[in-house]
Amino acid sequence: MQLATVVMDAGGRFIDWGVLHVSVGNLIVVLVMLVVFALVLVLPFPGEREEQPRGGSR
Amino acid sequence: MMLRAKAPRRPVSDSHAFPTRSYDLVKEFLIALAVVTVLTVVLAAVFSSPDDKAISLQSWAKTAPSDVVATAAGELAGTTTSATYGPPYNTNGDGQQLLFLPLQKWAGVRYPVDSANDLVVGPLRSMTGDPAVTGALARWDSATAQQRTTWATAYGDALSKAPDGEPAKVASGDYGPVPAMAAGFQRLALTGGLEQQLTSGPFYNADPTKALLLLADGSYLEDQARAQSLGGDQWGMMNETGNYPGQPWLWLYTFWYQIDPFKSSDNADALVWGLMMVLTLGLMLVPFIPGLRSIPRWIPVHRLIWRDWYRRTGH
Repeated sequence: MQLATVVMDAGGRFIDWGVLHVSVGNLIVVLVMLVVFALVLVLPFPGEREEQPRGGSR
Repeated sequence: MMLRAKAPRRPVSDSHAFPTRSYDLVKEFLIALAVVTVLTVVLAAVFSSPDDKAISLQSWAKTAPSDVVATAAGELAGTTTSATYGPPYNTNGDGQQLLFLPLQKWAGVRYPVDSANDLVVGPLRSMTGDPAVTGALARWDSATAQQRTTWATAYGDALSKAPDGEPAKVASGDYGPVPAMAAGFQRLALTGGLEQQLTSGPFYNADPTKALLLLADGSYLEDQARAQSLGGDQWGMMNETGNYPGQPWLWLYTFWYQIDPFKSSDNADALVWGLMMVLTLGLMLVPFIPGLRSIPRWIPVHRLIWRDWYRRTGH
């Protein structure tokens, strides 16, 4: 299995892994988005005070 | 025939019976706006923004004069990308097809461009004070279409065989007025006059189509793009110049260009577009597609979001 390689030249810093060719800038953005997604799932909803169920019909 | 008894559906409570919580959407919007604004200002102050200098026809002529000469010869011979593109510029190619559907032909020639005359010969006619060019144009005008193509093709071939593509090192041959025209064209580009000729409009010079077609017919623009990983087969659609992040959300669109059969197809643009339309349709119709609509049951992310409610109600 070939490890990812980091290519750095005047055109920016890129990571090559198989068919994947991704810039470090894009990779950071994607990772930050994943972290934010995981956080919103795990962190408690703000204002946990809940109202009781109301009656069944209008 | 055996009939299977239908499992009784679990009764769903009326929506008003579900627990509710008050939430200030306007407050959330304002907080999000403030956070994004501060982030934008701070990141822009720290990292600046991509601001590569635009490539002009003048800078092209200064940096890659041989490429300008070779492109002019190609336009005159009718062998460049724009000359053989088909609709919307001309009828010299079939264009993109989706399976057997000639999408590009259906669109028709909506922006006629005669590459030889509009991109090269026309601008050259503005060089009235250059005897070498006016003499070459007179000879070009008096020749037959076949003779013109023969001259330009021969010169283009000779340029491609010359060391470094240098016009000065081209082997001698019968190229007619083409070398003088191509050299004059490079001189015109160097003065900035070519840009003026190709972008002048009736009022505002806001239509760069012809200048961009010409630039894209050369190899300089593509070389610059590939050096920045902006080529179609370099995931270029989602990249930005330098180290700046680009458009990673286009990853799926650009992904198809990296693999067969798309990357080796002349119809990649139409095929990838068609595939993305099918996938988009699939996404829209998820609730109706057996298997796909069951994914939330297999990966119950919603149970994680509403974990308190599930814990309390024992579901």
